[in-house]
Amino acid sequence: MKSEILYPGAFPMARVELGNGEQIKAESGAMVACSPTIDIESKMEGGFLGALSRKFLTGEKFFFQTLKASRGAGEVLLAPTVPGEIVVLELDGVNEYMVQKDGFLAGADGITIDSQMQSMSRGLLGGEGFFILKMSGKGMLLLNSFGAVHKIELKPGQEYIVDNSHLVAWSTTTSYNIEKATSGWVASFTSGEGFVCRFRGPGVVYIQSRNPGGFGAWVRQFIPVTE
Amino acid sequence: MIELQPNALCFGDEFPASGAPCLVHVEGQGLTITFLSDREGVVGHTESVGFSDLTISAGGLDHNQLVASWSGSVEQRTLYLKSPELIRAFRQAAPAHLNRPLEQAAEQVRQVRQRHRFVWGLVGGTVFAVILGLWFGSDVLVELAVNRIPIEWEQKLGESAYREFLAGQDVMKEGIAVDAVKEMTQRLASQVPNNPYRFDVTVVRSDVVNAFALPGGYVVVFTGLMKKAESPEEVAGVLAHELNHVLRRHGLERIIKQLGFVAVVSIVLGNPPGLGGAMKQFGIELMTLKFGRAQETEADTTGLDLLYRAKIHPEGMITFFQRLTEKDEGRVEWLSTHPMSSARADHLKARLAEMPKQQSEPFSFEWTKVRDALGVSSGSAP
Ligand SMILES: [Zn+2]
Repeated sequence: MKSEILYPGAFPMARVELGNGEQIKAESGAMVACSPTIDIESKMEGGFLGALSRKFLTGEKFFFQTLKASRGAGEVLLAPTVPGEIVVLELDGVNEYMVQKDGFLAGADGITIDSQMQSMSRGLLGGEGFFILKMSGKGMLLLNSFGAVHKIELKPGQEYIVDNSHLVAWSTTTSYNIEKATSGWVASFTSGEGFVCRFRGPGVVYIQSRNPGGFGAWVRQFIPVTE
Repeated sequence: MIELQPNALCFGDEFPASGAPCLVHVEGQGLTITFLSDREGVVGHTESVGFSDLTISAGGLDHNQLVASWSGSVEQRTLYLKSPELIRAFRQAAPAHLNRPLEQAAEQVRQVRQRHRFVWGLVGGTVFAVILGLWFGSDVLVELAVNRIPIEWEQKLGESAYREFLAGQDVMKEGIAVDAVKEMTQRLASQVPNNPYRFDVTVVRSDVVNAFALPGGYVVVFTGLMKKAESPEEVAGVLAHELNHVLRRHGLERIIKQLGFVAVVSIVLGNPPGLGGAMKQFGIELMTLKFGRAQETEADTTGLDLLYRAKIHPEGMITFFQRLTEKDEGRVEWLSTHPMSSARADHLKARLAEMPKQQSEPFSFEWTKVRDALGVSSGSAP
C-alpha cells in the first residue's frame, strides 16, 4: 500500500495504491474515484453496536467504507469534505492517536478504530461530544483538517494550550485537562463559551488552522434572516 | 535483519516528538531497550538501564501507562509502557524500592477504570431511565402488569382492606337504605357482561360525603353521600361510576404506578404476592387512592352507559356531580379521590345527548322513605 498527497494545500486529494487483495477503510463519502478493480463495501467497524454507538454518540456516519482491490491491483482517490490539508501518519503498533470525530479520512486495514469515551467532564465541557475515535494498530492513517495542519511537538512534561475546536489528533502519551477559555480565546461573533485543552507531553498534537464552528458562525452573519 | 515488534515508546531529545518505537526486555537487574533504526524492521542500537536508576509513575491520556524515566548516558530518557504483559513482567522483577511508586501507579489505573465504569453506568442508567419514562408515560408496562394480576388475588387484596376498614366503622346492617343500595348495585351488576366480580356493598353510618369501591368489587357507601342525593338515580350514578373503576381495574393501575418499576417487574415476571406488603411499606391506602383524569373520564363514560343499559335515568349522575361540586355543599370527601372538572361534566352531558331516549324503570323503593330512614328532614326534599 502506498499513498501520495496530490495538490497539497487547501484542496488536496489522497491517492492510495492498493495491491491485489489489499483493502483500506475510508470515511463514507470520502472516495472521489477509483480503478475498476476496486470493490466498495460498507462495513460496520466494531460490529453493529459499535457502529450504532458511533452514530448516536459522536454523530459520526454509521458506516466506514471498505475499499478492496479484490479484482486486481488499483488505486483510489480520496478527498475530505472541507477545504484543508491531509496528513499521513504511520502507526507501528505502539503509538496510538486520539482523533477528533471529523478528522478521520482513511486508514489501512491494520488500523483499529474505537469510539473512545472521554471522561465525563472532558466530554461535557469539550464540545466534541462524549466520544472521540481512538486509532491503534499498524499501518497508514490519513487525517484531514479544516485549514492547514500544524504539528506541536511536546517533550516530557512540556505543556501547551490549544483551543478545543482546533484539535485534530493527539498521541495517547499526552495527557490533557480541559479548561474554560478566557475571553481572549473566543471570537466575538461566536456565542457561548469556549474551552481550551492544556496538553502535557510527551507526544504530538495536530491542530487545524481554522475552526469549523467559528467559520460557520462567520458565514451565518451574511445569510439574510427570513421572518 | 531481525523482524522487531516494538512494545514501547521512548522519548528523548534525539528522538521524534511522537516517541521512538522500541523493544523493551525486563531482565534481572533492569531493562534492555532495543531501538528500531529508521528503516522498518531493522535492529538499531541497544541501551540498558538498572532498576536503581529508574523513577516511575503512571502517565498517558488515561493515566494507564507505566512511565519510567532516567538520566541516560547522554540525556534524559522517558519510556512509556502500555502492554499489560510488559507491565506485569516489570512489576515482578522490580526491586523493593520501586514497589511503592508501582502501587501508586496501579492505584491510579484502578481509579481511571472505576471512573470509566461509573460514567458508563451513568450513561446506561440514563438511557434506561428514559426508556422507562417512555413506557410509564404510555402506561404500556403498567397495563401489562395489571393484566397479569389474577382476579382472586385482586379480591384478596381488596377484601383484607375492606374488612380492616369496616371493623372501625358504624356499619348499617339492614333497613330500607341498605336494601335500596343493594337493589341499585344488583341492577347495575346484572348489566355487566361476563362480570368476574361479585360486588359486595356495605352502607356505613357517617356524615362523610363519600363512597368507594376497592379492587375486587368491595363497595362502601356512606350515609352522608346518600343524604345529599335528591333521587335514587343520583346515588346510582355514583355507584355506576365506582363499579366501573373496579371493572377497569383502575385501583390496581394506581397501586402499580405508585409502587413503581420494581413491583411491575416482579408482577410481569410472575411474582405478584408480596405486593400487599410493599403497599404497606409505601403507605399506600386503597381508600384514599386518587384516580387519574383519564380514569375518571373512563369511569364516567362507562358508568353512564351502564346506567343506560340498566334503564336507570342517567341524568341523575350529572346533576349529582354538579351539585356536589357546588361550594355551599360543604366538604365532599368523594371529590378528593375522584377529582371533578367542568370538562368531565361537559363530556357527560354531550354523551347523554347522543343517547337515544328510553323509558326508565323505577326502583322498588320510595326514595322519600329512604331519606326518612336516614334522618333527613322531609321538608328539605324536593
Ligand atoms: Zn372516580
